[in-house]
Amino acid sequence: MSYFTVFKMRLRMELQYRGAMIGGIACQMFFGLILVALYRALYAGKPQSLPIESVATYVWLQQAFFRMMLASDSELVDKIKSGDIAYDMCRPVDMYGFYYARIMAQKLMGSIMRAVPMLVMASLLPKGWGISLPASLTGFLAAIPALFLGLLCVCALENITVAFTMKTLDPRGMQGLLNLLMMTFSGNLLPLTLFPESWQKVITFLPYAQLLDAPIRLYTGSFMPNEALRIYAIQAFWVIILIALGVFMWNANKKRMIVQGG
Amino acid sequence: MNTLRLYFKSIVMLIKSQLQYPSSFIMQTLAQLVMEGGEMMVVILIVDRFESLKGWSGGNLYFFFGIMSVSFYLTELFGRGITGDFPSMVRTGRLDTFLIRPRGVLTQVLCGGTDPRRITCIAVGVAALIMGSNLSGIAWSPLKVLALVESIAMSCLLILGLFMIEAIFSIFSVKSVELVNAITYGGRSACQYPIDVYPLPLRALFTVIAPFALTMHVPASWILDKPLYGWPVWTAFVTPLAGAVVFAVMTALFHLAMRHYRSTGS
Repeated sequence: MSYFTVFKMRLRMELQYRGAMIGGIACQMFFGLILVALYRALYAGKPQSLPIESVATYVWLQQAFFRMMLASDSELVDKIKSGDIAYDMCRPVDMYGFYYARIMAQKLMGSIMRAVPMLVMASLLPKGWGISLPASLTGFLAAIPALFLGLLCVCALENITVAFTMKTLDPRGMQGLLNLLMMTFSGNLLPLTLFPESWQKVITFLPYAQLLDAPIRLYTGSFMPNEALRIYAIQAFWVIILIALGVFMWNANKKRMIVQGG
Repeated sequence: MNTLRLYFKSIVMLIKSQLQYPSSFIMQTLAQLVMEGGEMMVVILIVDRFESLKGWSGGNLYFFFGIMSVSFYLTELFGRGITGDFPSMVRTGRLDTFLIRPRGVLTQVLCGGTDPRRITCIAVGVAALIMGSNLSGIAWSPLKVLALVESIAMSCLLILGLFMIEAIFSIFSVKSVELVNAITYGGRSACQYPIDVYPLPLRALFTVIAPFALTMHVPASWILDKPLYGWPVWTAFVTPLAGAVVFAVMTALFHLAMRHYRSTGS
């Protein structure tokens, strides 16, 4: 139950940052417009089998849920660096679960607060520029659990990144590397649907594709709703693997943790 | 001249101090390499799928990408004080110490930061330039080399000028303004592709307000023998000066803003 309390507290805290939210939305809208403009120009030269509306929808959903991918618990990183993490080890809750709940609340609230206004704005843009309606109602309904599983997956990935920070005490190197992998293979830099077809067969199975690519494909109809169960299975598989790996790494780190004095 | 010597001396010292942790430095430098390599991979994948972009061939696109990444990361390498550290200097009050020393504040800020890890990003940019130049079959002449050097130098001044907007904002409101990122990092993302692929409002923004088109795309497209909008040769040498103008204006505004600087007291 204590995990749920942490989760709730963190939700409320994230709600406080409204100024940062408005700046974030404006920034993300701008990036979305640039990307859509670029893909439209590319399509004008050589139309693809995948319609441009679907690419625009992909871009907007990626931008709207950007916060889900890139929010990190900076307090935790500071605690690791300063050694204050020792206090957390005294708490009568499991540390991994505690931080998992925190980061999940942050990502969930942060992305919902940004996604709702952004998606409304994106739907007001002209056809081919903005976000299109989902391919079907069942596709839309199937995308929602997939998005939730994606959230579970990205939180587990975040905790693995943190585990590396505990080891090296310097968040920049490994975090930068892992974030880059995430940005590239989750479809943020370039929609995964525009990667070469032969690559797509492999990358749609990677954990990074489970975050946003899988729900977006259900939404746009490039995965049919009757495939949903297969997709949930892949996502659930990665959630279990990544959480298991994370717990293992955290426990291993706890044993050899050196707290810097001072 | 004295100031310049002081600047380079500080930069060398800062680089030395960063090299004191070699393993961390190498790790981060490699991370930067992968990061910029990833950006480059996206351009390659786009070229692979779409072949060309509104009359610009793949080689042309690599060339544009190369100019942007060389300019942007040179700025980050030499101007880290402005592009990264300034808001925290204001927040922590570190800026106060600069006010009592007998040198310009801007000089000291620039002396205070460097980011040598960016060297690998610049290497990726240079590779893209060479690749783009070979694929586009550029016949290099001394004049073209001059145009490229001027373009990169002026783009650096422009980018530094744009980051100074953020610095100026942070003097007034201690919290840094995320919105300015739209023009700096957004400008980088948008203008690593030639400007004429974008619709008019974006084109206007990146020609008039943040004139990447003038410092980069006009000279680069002349070098590629595909002058932008069919403009004559002299424009390739005159329009990049817009970068220096932006920098001069922002420097003036920065000094104006510093007069209103109130220390955070921490």
